[in-house]
Amino acid sequence: MIDDGIDNYGASDNFTEAEKLALRYSELMAEEPEKIDNAFYDELKKVYSTEEIVELGAFIGFNIGYHTFFGTLDFYPMFTPDGDLVSQEESKRIYGDKPTSHIKGLTVREADQAAE
Amino acid sequence: MSVVDPIPIEDISHPKIKEIMAVAAEWNVPDQRFFQILAHAPGYAQAVFDAMHLSFAEGNVDHKLKEIMRIQLARQAQAPYFASMRSKKAIEEGLTEDRIAAGYGDFENEDQFSNAEKWALRYTSLMYTEPKKVNGDFYAEGKKYYSEAEIMELGSFIALHYGVQVFFRTLGVGGRVKVKN
Repeated sequence: MIDDGIDNYGASDNFTEAEKLALRYSELMAEEPEKIDNAFYDELKKVYSTEEIVELGAFIGFNIGYHTFFGTLDFYPMFTPDGDLVSQEESKRIYGDKPTSHIKGLTVREADQAAE
Repeated sequence: MSVVDPIPIEDISHPKIKEIMAVAAEWNVPDQRFFQILAHAPGYAQAVFDAMHLSFAEGNVDHKLKEIMRIQLARQAQAPYFASMRSKKAIEEGLTEDRIAAGYGDFENEDQFSNAEKWALRYTSLMYTEPKKVNGDFYAEGKKYYSEAEIMELGSFIALHYGVQVFFRTLGVGGRVKVKN
């Protein structure tokens, strides 16, 4: 479902229209904030209260800020894709210079591993 | 005009939010309007205030340098609301508009900034434009000027303020005017 939410939410049956809109809010805020205009907020207001929109917007803003910052610090996931605790050296070996956990979800990784 | 209406100050009764409004009036960054909007979600308003005020008003790095960094970020984020506000404390301590403009301009060639200040301004400039350049070598240079605690202070400050500025940009607070970078 996480993979679906990242890569395929628009066409997915896993999400309600409200959830899809929240995912689009997140995606646009990170990549194309200029597209979040008054019309977009009008759509949000149809399914979320003002309190919820502020909650979502602040949450997304924090994550945009901190993900990039933490990405520059060169540290890696604490766990293997199977959930085992590993050292940073071992994690770097598993996930590489660009942590695949940031660009591919668990099911995609498993499919890649199966293909290998 | 914001797409989320600010709650009128006279309608704010939550004790903690009223305290926040008083501090916001004193510092002006973020200003009262920011919290009038966030007050729609009072719990978030408190958390955001704590994080932003702590990162901006406290810590070990010069507040005036952080103010220049914050304005540089606001211009990057194209958030005119944040780009136009000024910290009363930083101004009282002598920060000038010329120095602010130098900080978001060609700061690398400015004699008025120390190497430590230039590193911090470069950190700010690169984080969301060329984050791959903020690598091990970059941090190794930063450690010549700042302790690891100070680098975490600067990095967290940059991350928090940039993220909030992008969010507020989308709300149209201060207008949807593109700020030249």
